[in-house]
Amino acid sequence: MLRLWPLARGLQAKQVLASLARCNSSAPPEKLEVFVDDKPVLVEPGTTILQACADAGVEIPRFCYHERLSIAGNCRMCLVEVERSPKPVASCAMPVMKGMKIKTDSPLTKRAREGVMEFLLMNHPLDCPICDQGGECDLQDQSMTFGNDKSRFTDMDHTGKRAVEDKNVGPLIKTIMTRCIHCTRCIRFASEVAGVDDLGTTGRGGDMQVGTYVEKMFKSELSGNVIDLCPVGALTSKPYAFTTRPWETRKIESIDVMDALGSNIVVTMRTNEVMRILPRINEDINEEWISDATRFAYDGLKRQRLTTPFVKNDKGILEQADWESALIKVAQKIVQTPGEKIGAVAGGLVDAEALIALKDYLNRLGSEALCTEEIFPMDGAGTDLRSNYLLNTKIQGVEQADLILLVGTNPRFEAPLFNARIRKSWINNDLTVAMVGSQVDLTYDYEHLGDSASILNDIASGKHPFSKTLAAAKNPMVVVGSSALQRGDGTSIHKAVSTIAQNARVQSGCGEDWKVLNVLHRVASQVAALDLGYKAGVDAIRENPPQILFLLGADEGAITKEDIPADCFVVYQGHHGDRGAAMADVILPGAAYTEKDATYVNTEGRAQQTRTAVTPPMLAREDWKIIRALSEISGNSLPYDKLQEVRDRLYEVSPNLVQYGEAEDANYFKQAQELAQSVSGTIQEKPLTPSMQNLKDFYMTNSIGRASQTMAKCVKAVQDMD
Amino acid sequence: MASRFCRLVRPIATSALRTRSCQRPAVLTQLFRSESTTPNSTELSSTIRQVSPAKTQNLKEFGEYVAENLPKYVQKVEVCHGDELEIYIHPDGILPTILFLRDHHHAQFLNLSDLTAIDVPTRPYRFELVYMLLSLRYNARIKVKTYTDELTPIDSITPVLPAANWYEREVWDLYGVFFSNHPDLRRILTDYGFEGHPFRKDFPLSGYVEVRYDDEVGRCVIEPLELAQEFRKFEFSSPWEQFPKYRLSEPEAETSEPKQLDEKKGDKK
Amino acid sequence: MASSKAVQGLKHVKPILSTDTNQARRRVLNLYRAWYRVVPYICETYTLPITPEMCRNKIREEFDKNRHITDLRVIDMLCVKGQQDLMETKNVWKQMNHIMAYFKDTVNPQPQDFLSKFYDGHNP
Repeated sequence: MLRLWPLARGLQAKQVLASLARCNSSAPPEKLEVFVDDKPVLVEPGTTILQACADAGVEIPRFCYHERLSIAGNCRMCLVEVERSPKPVASCAMPVMKGMKIKTDSPLTKRAREGVMEFLLMNHPLDCPICDQGGECDLQDQSMTFGNDKSRFTDMDHTGKRAVEDKNVGPLIKTIMTRCIHCTRCIRFASEVAGVDDLGTTGRGGDMQVGTYVEKMFKSELSGNVIDLCPVGALTSKPYAFTTRPWETRKIESIDVMDALGSNIVVTMRTNEVMRILPRINEDINEEWISDATRFAYDGLKRQRLTTPFVKNDKGILEQADWESALIKVAQKIVQTPGEKIGAVAGGLVDAEALIALKDYLNRLGSEALCTEEIFPMDGAGTDLRSNYLLNTKIQGVEQADLILLVGTNPRFEAPLFNARIRKSWINNDLTVAMVGSQVDLTYDYEHLGDSASILNDIASGKHPFSKTLAAAKNPMVVVGSSALQRGDGTSIHKAVSTIAQNARVQSGCGEDWKVLNVLHRVASQVAALDLGYKAGVDAIRENPPQILFLLGADEGAITKEDIPADCFVVYQGHHGDRGAAMADVILPGAAYTEKDATYVNTEGRAQQTRTAVTPPMLAREDWKIIRALSEISGNSLPYDKLQEVRDRLYEVSPNLVQYGEAEDANYFKQAQELAQSVSGTIQEKPLTPSMQNLKDFYMTNSIGRASQTMAKCVKAVQDMD
Repeated sequence: MASRFCRLVRPIATSALRTRSCQRPAVLTQLFRSESTTPNSTELSSTIRQVSPAKTQNLKEFGEYVAENLPKYVQKVEVCHGDELEIYIHPDGILPTILFLRDHHHAQFLNLSDLTAIDVPTRPYRFELVYMLLSLRYNARIKVKTYTDELTPIDSITPVLPAANWYEREVWDLYGVFFSNHPDLRRILTDYGFEGHPFRKDFPLSGYVEVRYDDEVGRCVIEPLELAQEFRKFEFSSPWEQFPKYRLSEPEAETSEPKQLDEKKGDKK
Repeated sequence: MASSKAVQGLKHVKPILSTDTNQARRRVLNLYRAWYRVVPYICETYTLPITPEMCRNKIREEFDKNRHITDLRVIDMLCVKGQQDLMETKNVWKQMNHIMAYFKDTVNPQPQDFLSKFYDGHNP
C-alpha cells in the first residue's frame, strides 16, 4: 500500500508556502518581478508560477491543484514553458524565480497540454452523455479549450480502455472509478481538511486506484465536498444522480440553516423543486466547504411537509381546512383569551422576520411570554448584552488564535466548518486546543482536561495547571457550547467561563480588539431571537401555563402536552409535520428556508439572507405573512404589508439584523462578567456531555433532517459500520 | 424574335464590359465569374471554406470605390469572414447608396435578397438595418448597414427596389422601425390588435398576452399572460469563462475608413 | 458601429410626420374624429354585444391614456399606429374578439390588499 502525501510532508510544503505567501510576521520581503507572456508582474517570493500567472490574469489549466489543498503536482496539466528551462515545468509546484520568463501560450506549452490531455482521455471513458458531471466537468471543459481536435486513439486489438471497479463509500457519494484521473484531490481533502485518513491510493502506473483500501464508508461529516472537488465524474452525488443537468437548473444564492454557522450555499432549482445544494465561497464562514447535513438534507424539504392548514374537529381529529377558516378559528380563540394567557415558543429554523412579526403581534395582545426552545442562562447579564451569547472572535478569528479552550462542546458535529477551521489553524498555525467535557474525536489532537464541569472553577481561580498555559497565550479563545449552558447549573458555568475568559484576556494583554469569550450555538434562529428580545428557554411557559400556545416551528419537544393545561389551545406554525404539529389544535403551514426571503443571524451575530428558490408547496405561505394575516383577522393589524416594511421594523429593533454580511462587534465583556458575579449558585459535578457525540447523531438534528431519507440512510450506514 | 436578338447582342455587351472593367481599378471584375463551387483538389483535406486573397482584395477595392463615390454617406467599409463586403452608411444616405449600387454599371445589385434589422438596446441608435443585395451580373453580394432608433424614420427603398415592400413591412411589424414613403406600411406577421414589436430585445419571449377560447362569452379572449408552468431557461455561462484568454477570437475583419481613403486619393494625385 | 460622425449628423431629430404642435394636434383630432365616425358602422358589421356609446367611451379612454404625451414624434408614431388600427377595424380584417380585447371583460382584477393577496396565492 502506498499512501500519497503523508500529512507531515503536505504540512511542510503548506507551511513554507503559507509563511512565504503571508509574511505578516516580519518585514515584507522584496517582491520579485517575473514576466508572464512578456508582461511584467510583481509577486512575492515563494509564489508558484501558477499563482503568478493568475495575478497576471492568465489562468493555467489544472486538475490536481487546488488553492485550499496541499500541492501534489501529479496531473501535469499545468505545464508551461519557462525560458532557459530544458523541459516544460509544472507551474503549480514551481516557485517563481527572479526574472523568470513564463510562456503560457507558446507552441511548446500548447503541445504539452495537448499531450497530457491525450493521455488523460486515453484512459478516460467516453461516457459524458450518461455522466452526472457532464456540463460542469473540468476534463470536458479543458479538453474543449486545450485539447487536440484529432484523435490517435485506435483500439486496434479491441482490448478495451482502462476499467476500474467501483467502490461503495456510503450513501452519499457515488463512485465511478473508471472516470478517475488520479488527481488525488479527494485524498488530500480527506486527510487535510476532513481529518480522516480513509482515502488513499493502491497500485501504481496504469494500475493505480483511488479508494478506501478495504470496502468501507467514507466516514466524515464533510464527505460531500469531495464531489465538488473531483474534477471529473468519478465522485458524484448519489441522491442527485441522473436528475438534472447543470445548464437547465437555476442557481439561487442562499444561506444554510442546518447549524448556527449560516454557511453560504447555492440552491439549485428546476421546475419548482430543489435539485441539490452546493457551497458558495465565503472566506469569513465556510470557505468553500459545507457539511453533509447542509448538502444532502434537501430531500427532507419534499417529505412530511405541511401543505394545507389543519383544524381539529369535534372528535379531536385534525382535518384539512382552507386558510380563511383556520385563521378565523385561531383569531376567535385569541379574541376570547386575555393577552397574558397567550404564550409562544420559537423553534430553531425560524427566520427573524417571523420572529419579529410574532413578537409584535403578541406584545400588542398584551403577552410577554415569548420563548425560544434553546435554553440560555438569563441571570446576570443574561441576554441583555450581546457579547454574552455570540461567537465574538468570529470564525475567522480562529486563524489568529494560538490557544482554544473548548467547554462542553463537540464542534465537529455542532458546527463542522468551525471545526474544520480549528483543524486548519491547528495544522498551519500551531494552535493549541484544550477541552473540558466528554472526550470526543475532533480530528485533531487536544489536551483533555477532564469532563467534570467543576474543573472550570479551578481554571477560573488559577488552581488548575492549565491556567498557566492560558495566561501565557497571546490570543486565547474560550468556546463554550450552548448545550453546556442548558444544564441546571448553566448560569454558574457561564459565570465560570466568562471569568476564565476575562482573566485570560487581561493576562494575555491582547488588547480590546481581541475577544476571548465565545458561545457556539447549535440552531440557526437563536441569535436573532435573542437579539429581538425573546426569552431563552421555556421556563416562562412552564411557570405561567397559557391558554393559547403558539408554536412557531418548535419541534424539539421542549414543551410537551404535560407541561401545559389540558384545555390549552395549541397553534403550530411550521413547515414539517413533526413533534410540534402532533400536539397542535390548528396547524398553519409555513415555508422552509429555501422558500422565502428571510433573515438569519449566525452564531457570530452576522445577519444573512436566504433567497426564495422555490415557492412554498400548495397552500403553505411565508411565515411572517401568516402572522400578519392572523393579526388582521383578529382585528389587531400589524403595520407592515411588504417584506421591506418588516425589515424596516427589524432595523428599528436592532439595526444589525438588516446589515447583511456584516458581523458587528459586541463589547462590554467586563460589565457582563461583573454582572455574572452577582449570580449565586454552584457548578455541579456532572460531566459536561455535548448532545452530539458520534457521527450518527449529526445527521438528524432538526425537522428537515428527520424528514430526509438520505439522512436516514446515513444514520443506518454509520450504525452498520460501527 | 427579340430573344434571339438578345442572344446575339449579349456576348458583345459583356466583352465590352470586360474591357472597361480592366481600365478602371476597384470595380467588381470578372474574378467572381470564374469561381466555381467545387473545391480545388488541394483543399480536400480541410473542411473549412477557403477564401482566395485575390477575391478579398477585389472586394476591398470595390468597397473603397463605393466609399470614394459616396463620401457623404459611407462611414466604414469592411470585408468580413474573408469574402463578405459590408458598407456602413449614414441613414440619410440609404436611397442614394442603394440607387448607386443598383444603377452603377459595374455593380448592378438589382436584387434585394434580404432586408432585416438587429436590435442592440445599448447603442444610441438601437436598430441596425441590414440590406443584403445581390448582383446576378457579377455573382457578388454586398451588405449595406445603417442604423436608426424607435422614433427616427428611415426612407423606404420600395420605390427603388420593390422587393423591399414586404421586408420593410416585416421590419416595421417586428421591430417598429418606421419607413417613410412606404406605399403600404402595415402589419404583416402579427395578429390584428397585437401590441408591441416582438423582435425587440425588451419584448419578453413569452409575450404579454395569451389567447384562449372562452365558452362563457363564446369567442376567443385575449388576457394578460399567466404562466402556470416555470419558464424553461437554460444557462450556458460555462466554466470556460475561466480561461477567457484561450477562447477563440472572431476572425479579424479588414476595415477601411473613408478618411484614410481620402488621404490615399491625395497621394495618387 | 454608430460612430461619432453619425451622432453629429443626426443632432436635430428627423420628424416623422408633424413639424409642429399644431400639425400633431390636428392629426390626433382627425384620427379621433375618424374613429368616432366609424363607431356605428363597426358595431353593426361586427355585431358587437355593446352599444355605440360604450365604444365611444372606450375610444375616448384609449386616447386619454396618452394625453400626457408631448413629444411630437411619439404622438406621430401613435397616430400612425392608430391609423393602421383604424384601417384594420374598418376593413373588417379584425374579428370580434380583437375589438372586444379592448374591453378586457373576462380579465379578473388582481387582488390588491394584503389579506386577499394572502388567500390568493404566492403573490409578492
